[in-house]
Amino acid sequence: MVNPLRKFKKSWLVLMMFLGMHFSYAQKSITGKVTDEKGAGLPNASVLVKGTSNGVTTGTDGGFTISVPGSDAVLVVSYVGLRTQEITVGTNATINVQLSSSSAQLNDVVVVGYGTQRKRETTAAVATVSAEQFNKGNISNTAQLLQGKVTGLSISRPGSDPNASFAIRLRGLSTLGANASPLIVVDGQIGVDINTVDPNDIQSIDVLKDAASAAIYGTRGSAGVIIITTKRGSKGATTVSYNGSVSAESPVKFTEHFSGPEYVKAGGADLGSNTDWNDEITRTAISTIQNLSLSGGSGGTFYTGSVNYRNNPGVAIKTGFTQLNLHFGLTQRALKDKLVLTLDGNMTKRDADLGWNDAFKYATIFNPTAPVHSDNPTYNITGSGFFEQNFIDYANPVAVLEQNVNSRITKRSNINGSATYEIIHGLKASVRYAQENISNYNWAYLPITGFYVRGFLGVSGFARHGYAWKRDDESFNQLFESTVSYDKRFEKLSLSAVAGYSYQDFLNNGFLTQGGNFLTDAVGEDFNSSLDFKNGLGYSDSYKNGSRLVAFFGRANLNYNDVAFLSASLRREGSTQFGENNKWGMFPAVSAGLDVNKILLHSNSITNLKLRASYGITGALPPSPYLSLQLYGPSSSLFYYNGNYVPSYGPTQNANPDLKWEKKAEFDIGVDFAAFSNRLSGTIDYYSRKTSDLIFNVTVPVPPYPTSTQYRNVGILINSGIELLVNYDMIKNGQLTWTTGINFSTYKAVLDSLDDLAGSYVGATNLGTPGQEQTQITRAVEGEKIGILWGPVFRGVNKNGQYLFDNGSGDTTQDASYKTIVGYGLPKFEFGFTNTFRYSNFDLNFFIRGSIGHELINTYRAFYENATVVNSYNVVSTKYYDPLLKDAQEYSSLDVEKASFVKLDNATLGYTFNMAKSQYIKSIRAYVNGQNLFVITDYTGVDPEVRYQDGTNILAPGVDRRETWVRTRTFTFGLNVTF
Amino acid sequence: MKFSFIKYTAAVLVLFASCTNLDEKEVLYDQVTQDNFFKTDAEYLAALGAAYTNLYGTFGSADNFWPMQEVTTDEMVVPTRGADWGDGGHWVRLKLHTYNADDPRPSNSWNVLFAGVNTCNRVLSIFEPIGTDQSKIYVAELKALRAIYYYWLLDLFGNVPLSTDFNETEPPSNATRKEVYDFVEKELIDNLPLLAKTGPNDPLTYGRVNYYTAYACLANLYMNAQVYTGTPQWDKAIAACDEIINSGLFSLMPNYSDNFKRDNRGSTEFIWVIPYDGIKATGFKMPLITLNPIQQGVYNLGLQPWGGFATVQEFYQSYIDPTQNPGPQGTVIGLDPLAKPIPGTLDKRLSNFIAGPQYQSDGVTQIQDGAAEASDPDGKLLTFSPYINELEPGAWHQAGARIGKWEIYKGGTGDLDNDYCIYRYTDILLLKAEALCRKNNNWNDGVAMAMVNQVRTLHGGVDPYTSMTEDKFLAERGREMFAEATRRSDLIRFGRYNDAYRFHPADPADNAGPNDINHLNVFPIPATQINANHNLKQNDGY
Repeated sequence: MVNPLRKFKKSWLVLMMFLGMHFSYAQKSITGKVTDEKGAGLPNASVLVKGTSNGVTTGTDGGFTISVPGSDAVLVVSYVGLRTQEITVGTNATINVQLSSSSAQLNDVVVVGYGTQRKRETTAAVATVSAEQFNKGNISNTAQLLQGKVTGLSISRPGSDPNASFAIRLRGLSTLGANASPLIVVDGQIGVDINTVDPNDIQSIDVLKDAASAAIYGTRGSAGVIIITTKRGSKGATTVSYNGSVSAESPVKFTEHFSGPEYVKAGGADLGSNTDWNDEITRTAISTIQNLSLSGGSGGTFYTGSVNYRNNPGVAIKTGFTQLNLHFGLTQRALKDKLVLTLDGNMTKRDADLGWNDAFKYATIFNPTAPVHSDNPTYNITGSGFFEQNFIDYANPVAVLEQNVNSRITKRSNINGSATYEIIHGLKASVRYAQENISNYNWAYLPITGFYVRGFLGVSGFARHGYAWKRDDESFNQLFESTVSYDKRFEKLSLSAVAGYSYQDFLNNGFLTQGGNFLTDAVGEDFNSSLDFKNGLGYSDSYKNGSRLVAFFGRANLNYNDVAFLSASLRREGSTQFGENNKWGMFPAVSAGLDVNKILLHSNSITNLKLRASYGITGALPPSPYLSLQLYGPSSSLFYYNGNYVPSYGPTQNANPDLKWEKKAEFDIGVDFAAFSNRLSGTIDYYSRKTSDLIFNVTVPVPPYPTSTQYRNVGILINSGIELLVNYDMIKNGQLTWTTGINFSTYKAVLDSLDDLAGSYVGATNLGTPGQEQTQITRAVEGEKIGILWGPVFRGVNKNGQYLFDNGSGDTTQDASYKTIVGYGLPKFEFGFTNTFRYSNFDLNFFIRGSIGHELINTYRAFYENATVVNSYNVVSTKYYDPLLKDAQEYSSLDVEKASFVKLDNATLGYTFNMAKSQYIKSIRAYVNGQNLFVITDYTGVDPEVRYQDGTNILAPGVDRRETWVRTRTFTFGLNVTF
Repeated sequence: MKFSFIKYTAAVLVLFASCTNLDEKEVLYDQVTQDNFFKTDAEYLAALGAAYTNLYGTFGSADNFWPMQEVTTDEMVVPTRGADWGDGGHWVRLKLHTYNADDPRPSNSWNVLFAGVNTCNRVLSIFEPIGTDQSKIYVAELKALRAIYYYWLLDLFGNVPLSTDFNETEPPSNATRKEVYDFVEKELIDNLPLLAKTGPNDPLTYGRVNYYTAYACLANLYMNAQVYTGTPQWDKAIAACDEIINSGLFSLMPNYSDNFKRDNRGSTEFIWVIPYDGIKATGFKMPLITLNPIQQGVYNLGLQPWGGFATVQEFYQSYIDPTQNPGPQGTVIGLDPLAKPIPGTLDKRLSNFIAGPQYQSDGVTQIQDGAAEASDPDGKLLTFSPYINELEPGAWHQAGARIGKWEIYKGGTGDLDNDYCIYRYTDILLLKAEALCRKNNNWNDGVAMAMVNQVRTLHGGVDPYTSMTEDKFLAERGREMFAEATRRSDLIRFGRYNDAYRFHPADPADNAGPNDINHLNVFPIPATQINANHNLKQNDGY
C-alpha cells in the first residue's frame, strides 16, 4: 500500500526538480511596528503569515514579533477600518507598516479569476472596490454598492421600485442577443445571482473589465466579470458587530400634469372633486436594516457568521419587501496548514409585495376631478365603492394598489465548499463543489370587485368574479471545479500558474396556473374553488430545461522583480447550448505590464508608473437552451377531426446546427500610476473591442424556413472607450485629511455589420398601448451607433394647431411618415466625483455622479401631452406643453429630451466615539446619510437615469416608460457597534 | 492520511475531467424534436392538424387578412377613438388605401398564409413517402388546402413566390400573379378525384377541405380571373358553382341568423368552416374587436372588449333605406348623431349590426358609460349610433353600429364558439347569379334575378327586386355577405375599390398593378420579407 503512494510523491519531486525549483525552510524572526496614518502605534492590529494560521496581534504601542518560514513569506497586516497590507518579508528583519485609509495601495490584493494578484502585478484592466468605498445608506442590492464607483461600469435603476433590479453594463453593450449583464462570481462560485450575499457581508468587489482578465471565464466573460469576496474570520478573539439603520424615503418628483381646474378648462369632464392621485398612492416609507455578525478564529479554525434583516416598504402604498439572510463562512486549516478546507453558505428569503407599476401611470392620467370613492352606480362599476370609468388602460390607481395582490417569495440558498492541499511548497491542488438553488413563488389576485384590467395576467379581473395567478420558478445549478496551482520565485522572477477543469450544469423548471370565477374572495388561494377550471377556462403551463458547460483552462503569470509582468491564459469551453457543429470554443488571452519608472525614469516621487497592454477573446452564450434545435410544439388550439378536437403539432423553431458563441476580441492599453508617497494615484485605460458572430433571433423568409425566426450569428459590434480614475489626498496632515477622487468613462458602440438575413436594422421597439402599438421608436442600425431613438422630426405647429414634421428634404409637412434618428439613448460619458474628509472623530463623504449626453423618449409626453386626449385622460403638461395644438397625438422628436444629469447621489456624515475606556465595546460609529439629495437636469420626466434596456430589449436604450416609479430622496440614520 | 488525500484528489480530478458530453438531447426535457415524434397515428394526425389550426385567428379577428378585406372597403371602419385605435395610423391607412410595406396587417397576413403553405409542404413531405391509400387522400387534401392558401395570397399580394418543396432551402423569388393563378387552378383540379364528396354536416370532413371546398375556391378564382389574369372565365365560374349547387347537398337556411348563432353546426349552407371553440379552438375575437369596453359586464366576458370595429353609416343605410332596399317598413335606428328611431325597411339581416341603446344583462336598464365623451350628443347612456362623427382622431367611443352578425352570448371568453363559414352556399348562389349577368352582359338576367330574389326574400324578408342593376346587385351582395371577408375582392371586381366612399377619397388613378390594375388593388409585400429574402421583389407602385 505504501509503495505506489511513495512512488507518486517521488514523481512529483522529480517533476519539481526538473523545473529547477529548490526549497528553503529556514525559520526567521521578524519584529516591527504597525502605525496609523499619523504615525501613532496601532494596538490590536493583526499580523498574519499569509496562507497559514500563524499570526499575532500587536501590543499597545503597535509592536509585534513573529516568526516566518523564509524570505518569500508574506505578512498580512490588518486593522478594522484601515486597508489591509501585504508585505513580502525578503531579507528584512524589521518591518514597519503604516496602515492608512488612503486609496492608493500597490500591495492591495486584487482578486482575479482562479487566484489573486497584488495590484502592482496586474496587467489587465481590473478594478477593486473595498467595503469602505461602497455607497452607503438604504442599500439592499449589491449592484447599488458599486453605482458610479468603477469606470466603465454603468449601473442604473430608474425610479424607486425597491423590488426592481439594476441594469448593469460594463463598457457599453457587447452583445445583441446574449446576456448583457456581467458574470457574477462569489467566493469562487461562478454564475450566481448578484444578491446571493447581503451587502453587509461583502469585503470587496473586483471587476474584470477587459477581455484578457475575463477570458479565463470563457463563454461567459464577454459582459465582464464581477467578483465578490465575502468577509472572513481572522485569528483572534471573537468580534461581534452590529450595524443598524433606519431610513425615510419620500417622493420628490412626479410627472407633471393638469390640476383639476386646468383639466376642466381644457375640456375635461368635471366630476366635482379635486384629487391628487400621486399623493393618494405614495407615502414616506420608513425602512430598517439590521445586521449582526460575529467572526474570529483560533487554532486552525476561522469563522464568520451573520444575520441580516431588512424591512423595506416602497413609496407606493402596499408595496415593499422584508428579507432575512443568513451567511456563514468557515475555514479550517489542517495537516500543518497544508490542507485548507472552506465551507460557505448563504440563505435568503425575501417576501415582496410588488404592487402594480401601472398605478403610477394611472395616477398621472386619472381624472383629477374624480373622487377616490363613489356610490354613484355610473362610476361604482364593480360595487367596490371605488370610482371607476371605462377607458382603455385606465383604472383608479388607489383601487389598483389597494384591491389587488401581487407578491413574490424568493428563496435563495448557496453552498460552496472547497479543499486545497499543498502537495509541496508552492504546488496546490484544489477542488470545489458549489450549488445554487433559487425559488421564486409568485402570487397575484384580482378580487371579485376588482376593476384593473391590464398587467401581466393577460386577463381582466372585471367581470371575472375574482382572478388568481400562481407561478413557481425553480432554478438549480451545480459547479464542480478542480485546479492545480503553482507559485514559485526564482531569484528575481516569480511564477504563478494555474490549470483546471470546470463542469457546471443548470436546471430550470416551473409552472404557472391561472383562473378565476370564485364564489368569494376568501377562497381565492384555492384553484379548486375556481369555476373557470370546472368550465375549462383555467390555464396552466409548465417548463423544464437544462444545459451544461464544460471547460479546461490554464494561466501563467510572470513577475520580473516587480518591474515587468506577463500573463497568458487559455480556456477551452463547450456548452450544450451551441449548435452541434460548434460545440467547443477557444478563449485565449495575453497581457503584459512594465513599470516604466523603475527602468527609465527612476524618479523618487513616483512609486509606480506601469504601462500595460492586453488582448483577449471572450464569449457569450445563446440566451437560453435548445435554440439550435429544430423543435415542434402544440398549437394553442386543437384540430377538429371527425367530431372531436385533437392535438395539433407543428414546428416552433428552426434548427441552426452552426449556432455558436458570440466572440468578443478586446485590446486594452492602460497606465497605472502612483506618486508623491502614493498621495496621487490613478488609472487610465483605452480599449477597443470587436464582438463578432452576434447572436440574434432573426426573421427568416417563410418559405423556405418552416417558421419565421431563427437564432443565428449575424453581425459585428465594435466598441471603444476611455476610462480615467484619479485619486488624490488633498490634505494629509494632523487631524484633518481630505481625499478626493474622480472617475470618468466614455464609450461608443457601433453596430458595424449585420448579416443579410437580419436586415438593415434590429432591436426595434414600439411606443405601445393604447393606440401606439405600431409606432416604432428605437432601432439598432447597421453602421450606426447603438442607442438610436427613431421617429419623425418635429418642426412646429401650424396656425391651425396641426403638427408639422420634416419631410426628409428640409421642408415641413403634416405627414409624419419621414422618420430618422432623433436622439441617442446612451450617454456620451459618465463620471463620479467623491470626497472624503476626516477630522478628529468625524468623517464626511459625498459622492456626485453624472451621465452626460444621453436622451430619453418621455413616453408620458408621447401619449398624453396633448389636450385632445382630455376626453379620456388627464393631460401631461411639462414646459413643452402647447395649448394651441389641435392635432391627434403623434409621437415625434418633440418627445425626445436631453437627459444629462448630475446628482448628489450619496453623502454621509459619521462620528466615531472614543471607546478606549470601555471594557465591552470596541467601537461605535454613528452616521447620517442622504441618497439622491439633488439632481440637476433639464429632463422633464421623473428620473433622468439612463435606460440601458427597454424591458428585456437590450438594443433599445433610451425609453422612459410610463411604468417608472417616482423619484425619491432617502435619509438614513445608522449605527455601527463592534464588541 | 496525507497520501490518501492526494490519491482522492487525483481520483476526483480524473473522474470529473472525463465528463465532456455536450449532446443537448441529454438535457432536453420539455420539447419535441423530429427524433422523438411522428411515430404514432395520433402524432401523424397532429401533424395534419397543424395545416388547419393555422387558420384559427385568420377570419374573424383583427390580426391579419380579415380586416384587410373589410376595413379597406365601404362596409367597415376602425376609427381612431381619441387615444384608442390610433396604432401608428395603420387602421386609418387601411381605410385611406395608403398602406405601406411596414404596416402590420399585410405582414401578419403574409406570415400566417405562408405558414399555412409551409406547413402543408412540410406535412406533405411526411405523408407523400408513405404511399398508402389513406396517405394519398391526405396528400390530395393537403395539396388542395395549400392551393387555397395560395388563392388568398394571390388575391392579397399578387406576385407571391411559389414554394412547393419543403426541402428546398434557397429563398424563393416572385412568381407572376398569372403563374400563381395557374398553379391554384391546376392543384385544385388535379386533386379533386381523391377529395370526399361530403355534405355540410359530415363529421369526418367538417372543418376540412373536401370536393366542394375545392370547387368553391375554384368558383372564386374564376369569378376574379379577369382581375387576376386579364382574362374573364364566366363559364368556368358558372360550372364550378353548378358543381356545388347541383350536388343537392346544400340549401339556404330559412333563418339567416342561424348561420351565425353560437351553435351553428348543422347549417345546410356550410361548404367549409373554421370550427372555432371559445376554449379549444380560439381566435374568433368578434366581441373584443367590436363591443364597447363597458359591455364586458353585460356579456360577462373573460376579457374587456376593445371597442374598435364598426360599420359605415351609408352601408347601414343600404339596409333601412326603402328605395335601396324595398320591403316591410317599421321602426329602425336612424342615422342622426342621437341614433333616434325612424321609419325604415325591416331587413331581417339587420341582425348583422348592434345599433342603438345598449342594455344591462337584465335587458331593461340602459348601460351607463362613464367614459362617454362630453361632445357625444347622445350622452352617457351607451348608444351605438350608426353615425360616425369622424375617422380620426376624435371618433366617439360610442360611434358606429357594431358587428352583431355572429351571436355574442353571455359568459364567453372573448373568443366565440360560433363556427366561421369561409365558403357559404348563399355566396355560391350569388357568384353564379353575377357570373350569368356578366356572361350575358345583362343585369336583368332572369335566372340570376330569381337567385338573388330567393336570397332577398328568404334571408332578408324583403321585397324581391323587379329589376336589377350592377349597383343593386352589389348592394344586395353587401347586405348578405357583410363581414364575411368578400367585400374587397367584390369591390375590385366591380371596379369600385378605388372610388370615393365614406372616409375614403378616390385613389389616384394608376395602372402599376399586375395586369395594369391600380397598384393599390394588391398589397405591398411586407418589408420584413424583402429584407430577409433578396430574391423577392416589391410589387410595382410601392
